[in-house]
Amino acid sequence: MRHLKRYSALAKGLYTPEGRKDRKVVVIDVRPSPTSKNADIFLQVTPGADFEIVHVLRLLIAGKRLEGLEEESLVGGVAFRQWQELAELMKACRYGVVMFGIGLTQSRGKDLNAEELNSLIIELNAFTRFYAVAMRGHGNVNGSNQVLAWQTGYPLAVNFQRGYPRFNPGEFSVVDMLRRKEADAALIIATDPSAHLPQSAVNYLKSIPTIYLEPHENATTTWANVVIPVAPAGIGAGGTFYRMDNIPLQLKKLVDFAVPSDLEALQGIKEEVLRLKRGEAAC
Amino acid sequence: MLKIINGQVYDPKNGINGVSKDLYIDGGRFVQPVQEAGETIDAGGCIIMPGGVDIHSHIAGAKVNSARIMCPEDHYDHFRAAADCTRSGVGHTIPTTFLTGYEYAGLGYTTVFEAAVPPLEARHAHEELEDTPLVDTGIYTLMGNNTMIMKALQEKDAAKRRETLRSLVSWLLASSKGYAIKVVNPGGVESWKWSAGTVDLDTPVQPFGISSRQILTALAETNEDLKLPHALHLHTNHLGDPGNVRTTLETMKTLTGHRVHFTHLQFHSYGITPKGGLKSAAPEIAEFMNAHPEFTCDAGQIVFGPVTTMTADSPMQFHLHETTGNKWGSFDVEMETGSGIVPLRYRPSVLFNASQWCIGLELLLLIKNPWQIVLTTDHPNAGPFTAYPQIIRLLMDADYRNSVIETLHPKVGHYTHLKDLKREYTLEEIAIITRSGPAKALGLSNKGHLGPGADGDLVIYQPHKDKEKMFASPVYVIKDGRIIVRDGIARQSFGGKRLVALPYGLKDLADGSLSQELAQDFADYYSISLRNFAVQYDYLPRMEVISCG
Repeated sequence: MRHLKRYSALAKGLYTPEGRKDRKVVVIDVRPSPTSKNADIFLQVTPGADFEIVHVLRLLIAGKRLEGLEEESLVGGVAFRQWQELAELMKACRYGVVMFGIGLTQSRGKDLNAEELNSLIIELNAFTRFYAVAMRGHGNVNGSNQVLAWQTGYPLAVNFQRGYPRFNPGEFSVVDMLRRKEADAALIIATDPSAHLPQSAVNYLKSIPTIYLEPHENATTTWANVVIPVAPAGIGAGGTFYRMDNIPLQLKKLVDFAVPSDLEALQGIKEEVLRLKRGEAAC
Repeated sequence: MLKIINGQVYDPKNGINGVSKDLYIDGGRFVQPVQEAGETIDAGGCIIMPGGVDIHSHIAGAKVNSARIMCPEDHYDHFRAAADCTRSGVGHTIPTTFLTGYEYAGLGYTTVFEAAVPPLEARHAHEELEDTPLVDTGIYTLMGNNTMIMKALQEKDAAKRRETLRSLVSWLLASSKGYAIKVVNPGGVESWKWSAGTVDLDTPVQPFGISSRQILTALAETNEDLKLPHALHLHTNHLGDPGNVRTTLETMKTLTGHRVHFTHLQFHSYGITPKGGLKSAAPEIAEFMNAHPEFTCDAGQIVFGPVTTMTADSPMQFHLHETTGNKWGSFDVEMETGSGIVPLRYRPSVLFNASQWCIGLELLLLIKNPWQIVLTTDHPNAGPFTAYPQIIRLLMDADYRNSVIETLHPKVGHYTHLKDLKREYTLEEIAIITRSGPAKALGLSNKGHLGPGADGDLVIYQPHKDKEKMFASPVYVIKDGRIIVRDGIARQSFGGKRLVALPYGLKDLADGSLSQELAQDFADYYSISLRNFAVQYDYLPRMEVISCG
């Protein structure tokens, strides 16, 4: 709701002085939600039809004739006529943004769905200005993407086994590494694997040494070998937060905690590792 | 205390041209000769120049990092494993931050400016520069499509307008911790956001009806009012379009008498054939530059091979995407600017690319005063900075240059003049276009020379007939009196200084200097609040303020 208020629906801009009245909000989802209640148009689609829907929109934007589709034929559970209207709306608007959620990459087609959506956005720019924003699930996921990208060249799924960064989602991502039982030990920061990873991956994690930096008690703190309590970022520790549209914001520390920040804990571990390895390299 | 003896020294600013001279560095700076013992490097038989200064490069910040994410294919074959003193990294045209620092240092460059940063994303650029070791850095702050600047230009009262711009520009510089005013396709980016056409100098741009010419003259004037160390850093309208020489010359005429740096001028020196094709207009541009010592420029020399184009000029990038069919990234930075990314490859067999390559070299050879032109590749737009040694060879060795011309598209001679140019650069001229000249254009009195008080940055080269070999692998690179590279390998790694120009001094201008009306606009239209806008000093732990005036 805060997103609707601050950014996507209600915000008044220099060119949208009436705020919500100057905007048209279209929600495409598999079920009604608080967001869809605020929409001008809500298209309730059948699950798993993402690629098909975006592809039909691309063809409509490109002005292709779609044989075999009548006005009332269903595409993703919604009448073709409504997709035609949406395509016209997108072409005719002065400025459009598609915000898409993690669901798009989890349904059938996975990354190809996002690829198809990006193609649609690119093609719309022949008519008007259009952008897409990926709505990530957790706080500051983009921050970790950005730092990894400038330090290693890749935003995620980075492997340092050979002494330099390599990248291959599906091979070097967490779940895949754990499924193949390649990790000897795990250092876990800013996430709760028990809540987010498949059970088989969690089971393997439980069988190897785990160090866990976490401000709260949760399902993972019950079994991790070492739990280091840390101050919650943005409350007990400052830093930079990368918003989903890449705008970097400084978070200030508000309250003192008796425990270290993530940074301090990691620096402490690094210094100790260097002390143990001393003699190998000194710069 | 470090002593470098017996070297053949090139220090154009101090009039030293290949003379044997001993140099002394103490406390990170060059000092007068002293007797005191210390570490001594015998540079007998070697050539010494000040540390290189790159006046225009894209190495850090939001668009660079988005390009890294967009183009993993740039990285796979170009990687460096972690070593004793250096961290691992990847990337050919868009190297990771650490690798960027090591590679610049490896070529003898000790100062680099990131050429295009929107104020709203300046924090990101500074974070990356903190992870770019061994070079002093700074950022240029984008202002040529800033909505608040365009709004301020509506003011009819000239004195009031001038005053508002002074405070607005200094506030933008102080907030972003920038070094210079950067203007990219003035008005053109905003126009594109409205899906309107390209802009000429007098096209009124929505929503305020302000033109490119108004933006340019006002910012050139403000640049001088604030006595900023660098000139107005300008990427003119119509980059890359055949026939853009008309716009470039008209812009130059408009700004005559002002201090202006025309960046990647190669991309703006294009004539047009009757059929709409590209031909060189470098002679006309060079003639104008030769008659206007108040102007400086950099080359933006094309390098054959893969590049990753990235600029705030989003309409140009969209056009490039449409004409090449290559992948495209585009970003809209709220009230400030846009940007775009398109990877591509320059090929000697493609007439357009071959002509572009010739035009850059023509500018370098036809602009007579080396203090007016700087060697750049607009990294990574026209080529990666790692190609500088190759370009130096092209400038110093006419036979080699002509042998490369032979490999280009056979018709290139019809549209360019390069094969008629016989000039060969001297070592002194190379020292000027790669260090002393850019340092002077940037107003950096402690860079680009070896006199007492200058930063203790120098490079020792082994002379070689092949100048590419010579400049690609310095024997020593010394920064702040510390040996950072020996025989091509980084020997230590530490953070450089961040160079900042604050027109009104250290006082943080984040809140104070915006007029009430503009502060209200900020509150109404930015997606963050005013007090979160300015980059905090925590992000610049080794800041050096370069004085204005």
